[in-house]
Amino acid sequence: MSIFGSLNTANRGLSAAQRALDATSQNIVNANTPGYSRQRVLLTSVGQPVTATFHTGNGVVYGGVDVADVSRIRDAFLEATRAAAGGRQSYLESQTDILTSAQQLLSEPGETGLQSTMDSFYASWHDLASNPPDTAAAAVVIQRGLAVTQQVRTVSNGIAAQWTTARDTLADVVNRANQATSDLAKLNEAVTAGQMAGKPVNELLDTRDTLVRSLADLVGATSSLDAEGRLSVSVNGVSILTGNHADPITLIGANDISTSAADPPGLKVGTFLVPVEAGHAAGLLGTLRTDLPSLSDQVDAVATRLRDAVNGVYGQGYASDGSTGNAFFSGTNAKDLAVVPVAGSALAIAAASGKVDGTVAGMVGDLADDQRSATALGGVDGASATWRKLTSSLGVQVQSLKTAQSVQDAVVAAADGAVQSDAGVNLDEEMTNMMLFQRAYQASARAITTADEIMDTLINRTGKVGL
Amino acid sequence: MTSSRITQRTIADTALRGLQGNLSRMQTMQQQLSSGRRVSQPSDDPSATVSSMTLRSRRQADEQYLRNMDTASGRLTVTDNALTSLSDRLREFRNLIVTSRNGALGQESQVGIAANMNAIRDEVLDLYNTTYLDRPIFGGTIQGVTAVDAGGSYQGDDQPIQVRISTDALVRIDVTGHDAGADTVPTALTAIAQNVTTSGATDADLDLLDSAISTVAQALGDVGARSARVSQTHDLVDSHRLDLTSRISVNEDVDMPEAMMNLSAQQVGYQAALQSAAKIQQTSLVDFLK
Repeated sequence: MSIFGSLNTANRGLSAAQRALDATSQNIVNANTPGYSRQRVLLTSVGQPVTATFHTGNGVVYGGVDVADVSRIRDAFLEATRAAAGGRQSYLESQTDILTSAQQLLSEPGETGLQSTMDSFYASWHDLASNPPDTAAAAVVIQRGLAVTQQVRTVSNGIAAQWTTARDTLADVVNRANQATSDLAKLNEAVTAGQMAGKPVNELLDTRDTLVRSLADLVGATSSLDAEGRLSVSVNGVSILTGNHADPITLIGANDISTSAADPPGLKVGTFLVPVEAGHAAGLLGTLRTDLPSLSDQVDAVATRLRDAVNGVYGQGYASDGSTGNAFFSGTNAKDLAVVPVAGSALAIAAASGKVDGTVAGMVGDLADDQRSATALGGVDGASATWRKLTSSLGVQVQSLKTAQSVQDAVVAAADGAVQSDAGVNLDEEMTNMMLFQRAYQASARAITTADEIMDTLINRTGKVGL
Repeated sequence: MTSSRITQRTIADTALRGLQGNLSRMQTMQQQLSSGRRVSQPSDDPSATVSSMTLRSRRQADEQYLRNMDTASGRLTVTDNALTSLSDRLREFRNLIVTSRNGALGQESQVGIAANMNAIRDEVLDLYNTTYLDRPIFGGTIQGVTAVDAGGSYQGDDQPIQVRISTDALVRIDVTGHDAGADTVPTALTAIAQNVTTSGATDADLDLLDSAISTVAQALGDVGARSARVSQTHDLVDSHRLDLTSRISVNEDVDMPEAMMNLSAQQVGYQAALQSAAKIQQTSLVDFLK
């Protein structure tokens, strides 16, 4: 054991303490950086060589301390759980957003909804029935009929617009996912290069985890690491990233709700269909493929049932020109439903030819009653009943989505907490570490001073006893 | 949480989440209070939404029935007045017959009586042609506005006219020409007036008049009964409508006192959350190191 050995040992202590203080500072300044994982300096004591050497005899030799690694604290399992929870949260969020807007199109319950418009329409027929030749009342019937067709059309167009918005959003989601995948491919390369060169890659790994998390949010992707520490990403079994090779996702299918049944939108990687089940993409695809088209079909059913019930009864009436079997509504769906008679005087409301009578008008007005409407349609739900069912089923769907969303928010919060609890920076802890390493530094410095004093004694004082 | 290691960030996140939750609940309450409605979208309460829609629909129907009944009672009142006047005129006519059969009267007087009779007949004709909103009330569903023409022959078609006064009930708002005697009375009156100037009125003529008077009386009774039914139904439907309105309100509207209470409770919670967040985030070990 030499005195120079002590100096060397103390010196290594100084540099180890410095590295540790370095890491502590990095942690403190990044305490609020999103995606940052706290880092720890792993110190190992360096002992004497295992084999005793001849020259130094049996004296103990200390090698001091060494910084083995600066490790990044982040549990892969917790991180994967958080990413999956986020994917499901995004899925629910997208679906809820779209269906909530669709729900607002209905403007129910209230005086402005289609229900009220249809009720006023039926009521106007009764006004006409109690005073048949009244052209003012007949004009009101036609105007109310137009109001119904207009409102049905507005709802239907609104749903179609909603569909287009959702598809545009999905295209954006796919673009962002592809961008993230190609960024990840570059990162994979950088990480491998860094690891081979023995350079610290902790910050790169943080960025990589953040990107993986955003991919989970966007398309519900999951990741895995291979033996060399390279990251692969796949969506439900379809790979979109292996090593530094990224496979872009493409959006296929119809551009418009009217053709969506024949050519439903979907996601593809190469020739493989991607079965997305989480992330914004899954929520958007669900509404594009199922929810919005079905809603649109139901609005069409309201229109056709209104047409069939009214025309069925109205056809029994005789117009002033003696014609019968006329139609009041024409069209095949919510978008092209139209009122046939132009002038109030052309309405066919008499029970027999050549009479001034409003019996048939009264019968049309009676269709306001659900049972009479169902009878007129041969037992099928009438327009009002269909509309109410549509409203209630959409309401129930949005309500349960909102409940599921709040549950999922709690799940994400818990997963976030778990990740944060593991990887987050605790300032108190860092302050304590700072003191610890500062003291270590001071002590090492002290050891150097002590060794110096010993040498001073040896060099300058030796042989001066009594002088 | 899987481990109990807590960081400043965890505390901040938890505080923020709590504040967010508080704020979002406050917003919901504020929305309810300012709109006065508990259900503003179907998803707020799907079943209440559907009952509201059904109730509104029924209320609209009730309002329509009330309007129909106004029309019905208007027409029935006009009919009632016409029939009452008819009855009066026919009684006058009968008195003239009785007078004409007084043997002491000379030919000139008979002619005078017959002229009187013809005048009454014209009045009767006019009464049979009474209109309501440009429609002959005894004409059924004919296209013209004359139920009985100048010659006294009936033009109407005896078609009933009905109006819906409740979900299950229709009421007739017309009296057919036949029921009011429009098809027989004018011609009979002309014939009797003719008889007076020639052979003199007979017992058969008196019987004819009596039966005409009783026909009109019967029609009057019928109209009266229907008017009574309409006004009775009117009250029923009106109270039903009010009941529906209050049910809609119960279904959709916010219970104000309760909502205010909830809001202030929520505010207390929000302030507590704000204060605790402010306090707990101020301190760290840094404060105690020199």
